[in-house]
Amino acid sequence: MDQAAALKKRKGIHGALALVVIAVALYWGLVIAPPDGYQGEVQRIMYLHLPSILIAYLSYFLVFIGSAMYLWKREKRDDLLAHAAAELGVLFTALTIVEGSIWGRPTWGVWWTWDARLTLTAILLLIYTGYLMLRSLIEDQSRAASAAAVLGIIGFLDIPLIHMSVYWWRTLHQPPSILRPDKAPWDNVDPSMLIALTISFAGFLLLYFYLLALRYRVGEMREMIKMRRLEGDA
Amino acid sequence: MAPWGFVALAYGLVWGTIVIYLIALKRRYAKAAAELQRLETAEARQNDDKK
Repeated sequence: MDQAAALKKRKGIHGALALVVIAVALYWGLVIAPPDGYQGEVQRIMYLHLPSILIAYLSYFLVFIGSAMYLWKREKRDDLLAHAAAELGVLFTALTIVEGSIWGRPTWGVWWTWDARLTLTAILLLIYTGYLMLRSLIEDQSRAASAAAVLGIIGFLDIPLIHMSVYWWRTLHQPPSILRPDKAPWDNVDPSMLIALTISFAGFLLLYFYLLALRYRVGEMREMIKMRRLEGDA
Repeated sequence: MAPWGFVALAYGLVWGTIVIYLIALKRRYAKAAAELQRLETAEARQNDDKK
């Protein structure tokens, strides 16, 4: 089997595995896990909401790493990684805000409020949407990559602010129920809910790396096309 | 809206958006792969002509 066929097969297995884990996560989250004692059935949105934002954070961490490496070594693959991760980060941040809004309506009585955590998350979305726009607005590719890398690094500083916002300000958004320093997750949350959350996170993670590999390859191929066209013109 | 209505709306929007993004990404992939293939073929033909 040649390398391309082996890669295609591995991609197929990865995609199928993500699909199976997501199907199990949906079944566990919507059927097996019990409803929350206070919030009832709407709490099931948590199985989407928490994995989405964690995936968005992971994406921006990759943007941070890719951007820092690009500014240091000037290697195109680091820039391609940062660009691919930024696009997925924007997607998962937007989904997190939409899920949160739908969850907020029955629990808080509003679709949106200018709460510290919500506002900082909206700012995060704006920063990385700006990152993607910046790349398309500057014609010189090398300058665009450098400017985007600086924004990619600065934007990452918003994430610790988002995490700490529920401790630093009086917010409507609840403090963490699972990732908290004073209590183990199983002391605070029903084990069946924890399992639902873990499987859902695993499904999102598998899906994320599948999408990232595909998006990275699109960027890589576009780069190769650009190079070939330049060589053809020369 | 009933509680399950909010759950259905959230799950529907999230998975619907992800599926649409995946389809769009696969199309971008196929388009780039076809363009690259076309350029490689043209380049190979040019090299053959030179020989």
